[in-house]
Amino acid sequence: MLEKLLAEIRSGGTFETGVLAARLGTTPALVEAMLEHLQRIGHLRPYETCNDACGGCSLKSICKSKARTDAVRLWQI
Amino acid sequence: MSERHESPASVLPSMAVLDADAPVIALAGQPNMGKSTLFNLLTGLNQHVGNWPGKTVEHRAGHFDLNGRKARLVDLPGTYSLTANSPEEVIAREFILREKPSVVVAVVSAATLERSLYLVAELSALDAPLVVALNMMDVAEQEGIQVDAHVLEAALGVPVVPMTASRAAGVRELLKVVENVLNGNQVPRPRPPEVRADHREVLEKIEALISEHVPAPYPQAWVALKLLEGDAEVTRMMREALLPETWEAVHEILRAHDDAFLAVASGRYEWIGRMLRAAMTRPKVGQIGLTERLDRWAAHPLGGLFLLAGILGLVFWLTFTLGTPLQDWLEGSVIAPLSGLVAGALTGAPFWVQGLVVDGLIGGVGSVLTFLPILVIFFAAFALLEDVGYMARAAYVMDNLMHLMGLHGKSFLPLFLGFGCNVPAVMGTRVIDSWPARLLTILIAPLVPCTARMAVVAFIAPAFFGANAVWVTWGMVLLSLLALVVSGVALNKVIFKGQRSAFIMEMPLYHIPNARTIGLLVWQRSLAFVKKAGTAILAMAMLVWVLSYLPNGDLNTSYLARFGQFIEPVGRWMGFDWRLTVALITSFPAKENVIATLGVLFGSSPEAGLTEMLTASFSTATALSFLVVTMLFIPCMATVAVMKQETNSWGWTLLSVGLLLVISIAAGAATYHLAVWMGL
Repeated sequence: MLEKLLAEIRSGGTFETGVLAARLGTTPALVEAMLEHLQRIGHLRPYETCNDACGGCSLKSICKSKARTDAVRLWQI
Repeated sequence: MSERHESPASVLPSMAVLDADAPVIALAGQPNMGKSTLFNLLTGLNQHVGNWPGKTVEHRAGHFDLNGRKARLVDLPGTYSLTANSPEEVIAREFILREKPSVVVAVVSAATLERSLYLVAELSALDAPLVVALNMMDVAEQEGIQVDAHVLEAALGVPVVPMTASRAAGVRELLKVVENVLNGNQVPRPRPPEVRADHREVLEKIEALISEHVPAPYPQAWVALKLLEGDAEVTRMMREALLPETWEAVHEILRAHDDAFLAVASGRYEWIGRMLRAAMTRPKVGQIGLTERLDRWAAHPLGGLFLLAGILGLVFWLTFTLGTPLQDWLEGSVIAPLSGLVAGALTGAPFWVQGLVVDGLIGGVGSVLTFLPILVIFFAAFALLEDVGYMARAAYVMDNLMHLMGLHGKSFLPLFLGFGCNVPAVMGTRVIDSWPARLLTILIAPLVPCTARMAVVAFIAPAFFGANAVWVTWGMVLLSLLALVVSGVALNKVIFKGQRSAFIMEMPLYHIPNARTIGLLVWQRSLAFVKKAGTAILAMAMLVWVLSYLPNGDLNTSYLARFGQFIEPVGRWMGFDWRLTVALITSFPAKENVIATLGVLFGSSPEAGLTEMLTASFSTATALSFLVVTMLFIPCMATVAVMKQETNSWGWTLLSVGLLLVISIAAGAATYHLAVWMGL
């Protein structure tokens, strides 16, 4: 299952955990657990939506608001 | 509770005060499963804290009364697995393998079994008697998750005790089961995950090669499995334990199956999936069910795009229906009379003071501030969409579209940020590893319609198009996104040659909007806008006024007019006179300057506000063309600065600026001539 997940991700693109779960015939929660596993073994990296990339932007206080930082959890390969 | 932090040397002997026959119970579990709560509950004051010998990892041990019998309790470090990825994992497995605890209690969370069971899968492959403490039943219940402990017990083959350690519920039952296992009244017969058929033969070959060479106390099958998983510690141990030629043979097999670690982990997740299907039910109704149902539309590659277009249309309709009357009122009843009042009060002042205050300050910044109500409604609508959880879907379906066109998947993030401001959009491209892909995204990111550009459209569209302003604004956003996709596809073919990478996102659940969160977002954004009006926009309004006044106080012969007339021929292609052309150029420091500049150049009087002056001066075709050019024009100064910083190249930065300049002029000219041809 982990291999299938990795194969899906390696095909490229933007994936949503619910869609990945449907493709693998499992639940989004198990896909998230596998994504965290892949992150621990170094195959994926988490991405923080608001980091120092916003430095210097007058709107950074907006980006760092709770509503935005809670919005999505992201990983990248 | 008192905790004594002691040296490793003093921790272990302190346990020796117990009867040497006292059973040893080890608590294993992933972090945040409530293992420490259970440990504290059982040991109370009878615990000692130090470090594991030779490590900086905390060691917690204690003793407790097990139905009249003293037992040692060791709290193993929180670990996700038993593979040597961290010192904690090595300590936990070494303790189980070397110290051979009488019982290992695996503490798992009933609310997150998908994560918790991985460690159980590994523990069940060891020889230690295993009991599963199914903790956090209260959290699972709150989330509507049902776990059938009996079914899970039958599936795992080891005792499973439901409990809530934080409320001391189920602890007595857990101790009873532990006692039964110690007495032999209950015998755990774990059913660990099996290695997949295509790797079973490999595993058997390795086992055959290492047999009789595995150091005690490690089980041979476990060592073979860890070798296949690429466990660094076990690999090192076996390299030292085996004869060089045997090790070479093992190494050759491992090299030929270097992806086996994934197959082994994969087998464990398939095992977890089976356990969960048997024993757990997640809620299908309520929030999660609603999210799934809504996402069938909202995240659908095609349906999601239509929904996005519809929602955007609704937002613009709401913004204009509520905001335009307020803006008209501010302009006609506040700014225009204020302008007349101040002009009257300054009759004795020098002419340039009157001009600077009335035309520069009130005409420029005042005009910008009149559309604050429109922006507040616009900000509130977007804050609502964001708080509900829709904006993530909007970016997702847009990104899906871009990916279909051959664009980079990771451009999702810049898109997501770009609707607020293009500066973080360009900065956000740091997420992209591949340089061509990153460059491509930087080049097209300014085409995402930011709030500043939307503010200009929100001001001009109602003035010229009245009730049709919604459709015009909607069309402008679609035009920007279309330009983004087309430019992306074109540039992709040239500089980004089909490289693919991936980005995975976990959609947030839809939420009932929180008024405080939305209020805070609207307040922050409105405040940022007002601050900008009081600084950058004010400075530009003053500069424009000064240039429109010098050298002789006549606008038509001013330095600004001379400059405007010099570049007017280009503006004429798009139906602009020199004033519109200059207004467009002043949008470079900040997009909102367009309105401030128009305010200075056209002024406002008690008889007519800026919008009336503009509609009287320009045709609908010109207004339409002006909106198109505004949406696609060169990025603002701050965006250009970060583009230079991120690309570290003036060449690429200027290419992007030049590209947008060409696109905007071409689109503006085409729009103008088409509109004239249609008789607008």
